Amino acid sequence: MIRRVTGTVAVAALLAGLTACGGSEEAAGSTTLTYWMFQDRTPQAGEVVEKIRTDFEKANPGVTVKIVKIPKDDYNTKLGSAVAANTVPDVGVLDQPLVARYAMDGTIKELPAGTVNEADYFEGALNTNRYNGKLYGLPVDHTAVALFYNKKLVPTPPKTWDELKQMSDAIHKADPKVAGIVVPKGDGYGAWMWPGVVHGAGGEMVDEANKKILFDQQPAVDALQLWVDLLPSSPRDITDSEMAFANGLAGMMISGPWDVATIKDQFPELDFNVAPLPYKTTPAGNIGGENAVVFSKGQNADLAWKWLKHLTSAENNTIYAQALGGFPINKAAAERDAGSFGEQQQGFLEQLKVAHARPAVPEWIQINDEIIAPAIEAALSGKVTSQQALTDAATKTRALLGWNS
Amino acid sequence: MASPVVADRPAVTPRPGRRRRPGFGRSDRLVGYLLITPALIYFVVFLLYPAMAALYYSFTDWNLRSPASWVGLQNYSDLLFEDVKFPHFWKSVQVTVQYTLIAVPLTLITALGQALLVNAIRRGSNLFRLLLFLPVVTAEAAVGAIWRWLYDPQYGLINAILGLFGIPKQNWLNTPELVIPALAFIAAWQCGISMIIYLAGLKGIPDSIREAATIDGAGPVQRFWKVVVPMLRPTTFYLVVTGVIAALQVFGLVYVIFSAGGGRSVTGGPEQSGLMYVLHLYLFAFRYDAMGAACAMSFLLFLLIMIVTALQFKFLKQEAA
Repeated sequence: MIRRVTGTVAVAALLAGLTACGGSEEAAGSTTLTYWMFQDRTPQAGEVVEKIRTDFEKANPGVTVKIVKIPKDDYNTKLGSAVAANTVPDVGVLDQPLVARYAMDGTIKELPAGTVNEADYFEGALNTNRYNGKLYGLPVDHTAVALFYNKKLVPTPPKTWDELKQMSDAIHKADPKVAGIVVPKGDGYGAWMWPGVVHGAGGEMVDEANKKILFDQQPAVDALQLWVDLLPSSPRDITDSEMAFANGLAGMMISGPWDVATIKDQFPELDFNVAPLPYKTTPAGNIGGENAVVFSKGQNADLAWKWLKHLTSAENNTIYAQALGGFPINKAAAERDAGSFGEQQQGFLEQLKVAHARPAVPEWIQINDEIIAPAIEAALSGKVTSQQALTDAATKTRALLGWNS
Repeated sequence: MASPVVADRPAVTPRPGRRRRPGFGRSDRLVGYLLITPALIYFVVFLLYPAMAALYYSFTDWNLRSPASWVGLQNYSDLLFEDVKFPHFWKSVQVTVQYTLIAVPLTLITALGQALLVNAIRRGSNLFRLLLFLPVVTAEAAVGAIWRWLYDPQYGLINAILGLFGIPKQNWLNTPELVIPALAFIAAWQCGISMIIYLAGLKGIPDSIREAATIDGAGPVQRFWKVVVPMLRPTTFYLVVTGVIAALQVFGLVYVIFSAGGGRSVTGGPEQSGLMYVLHLYLFAFRYDAMGAACAMSFLLFLLIMIVTALQFKFLKQEAA
């Protein structure tokens, strides 16, 4: 194992060194801007990216944009190695939860004031770029989870938690072999979705500015209890089956737009749609997607920000976000191009208007996986009450972060 | 590398009279070194250097981006004693040891059983050998996907077969108590390499010994326990040692089996019941930005494997009897 891990690191570093060269070669009168992004999902997406690139070069004579595309699964490892080896690109895509970490150690540059008009962007998406209240990047696309519902079992999607519970009960009562809803699990994935439910009860996860943990308070406890309450009408024996919702074994599930294509492809007969998540007091949801940042050790920072404005402009953002498999973060683009999204995607467009960024805490991924996920699991398995699970989790998080309250 | 050291000496053909070891004169030695140079370079660049670098980084706090800062033994002491920073470290040790204790014997018993069967049949043994070996050469991602379906609580084949014997449906991969046995069963299914080695061991038992035992009146059961098992002892010892080393490092399968939906977060199954040591290490190295701690974990595992292997050499019988 030692061999394997260290070997992998060495290979990754070597590869990064090989591929990331030439970040700043400047011939007379010409400037090259290097941009790293995820590999294209489809050939069509590649064409869209190419068009956006050539448009930018036409508008900026003497500028060449070199786009390096890297498979999503390898991206973070490769980027990490490039940072360690001082071979970073000028500008590149960055996972949302990594922005705080990269900002903390000065790997990326702060967005210069006045570069963009913040009101052009959805607030939730823009906030995923904040660390200590300052912006360190721009969102390029965003995504979220929403409520998938089987139209045969769910005539009208529930809007509130009470309606959700009633609907789930009704489905399971009508046919005990069918679960009401696939209740998320207490794993890293479930813990990523859960804050959207907490915000739906008017709650917050943390207060970064005052170093306060808030996910042990009533709204969060209610949010966890909602999942616990849904379990009797949504037995795990049914919902743990592979593709339970697509197979018609569950009336509803919480998932993201990536499942729309899969279900349509593999289960063409399933009649389903997507609605925003039910809420208790306030419509709300979680957020995922990609940001783009400018690296401190890269070149041509001004040009890099200009490129990111180009990607996130009202004109280009919809097609670029669609190429990435997400949704536009530019409000004008989202509004104007809503019609270009399919029936099921409308639910996500609606959901994203009320998306909340995850806490801007550098250690958040670890807290998400190692503390919140087990707490959710403990409550869902009935080992402890929701309140107890979250109180314990908050205590552990405070100890890890060194926060007092 | 070794070649320059040799190269500065003239390659002379040794005089026949002075030659002590035939075939190993200086020029032959040079050729020999040249021949092993690629392997040596590989060893140094891809194994020795990274391992030494990992040892160094295990004494540092390093996130892959900022310069590593020396922290001495802190990573090690935090891993062993600091529940706040590494809440699931000991859980991952426990899970891995449990898995090893179940998977290794199960794999060996399955492999020996398969080897005996393949050895016994007269026709088509090549075909069966191939079929039994296939799980080993199947891509791990495919194996994981297939077994997710086999263990499916609603449609899974495993539950269907158990149902024939009146055993109720189980939610294999989502019940904490069942996760390790379920994973060990997959390992046993993938026992092809052990099966081939056992098969070679079986072929190495001289017929004369079996015949002698038969003449002395030993039945098949007695022949198995008194002749085959003792004669296979060196093979079994080898398989136990390598099997334990491999089981302590299992990673790919759990990574695939517990990766959820659209999310890439892998937290090791329900209530961390499948959080193998190396999966835990991987998460710290590449997900939680703690490469220093991950390197320390890899060295702790190295120490554990060394101790376990030494104990096996000391206490297990190695010689055929």
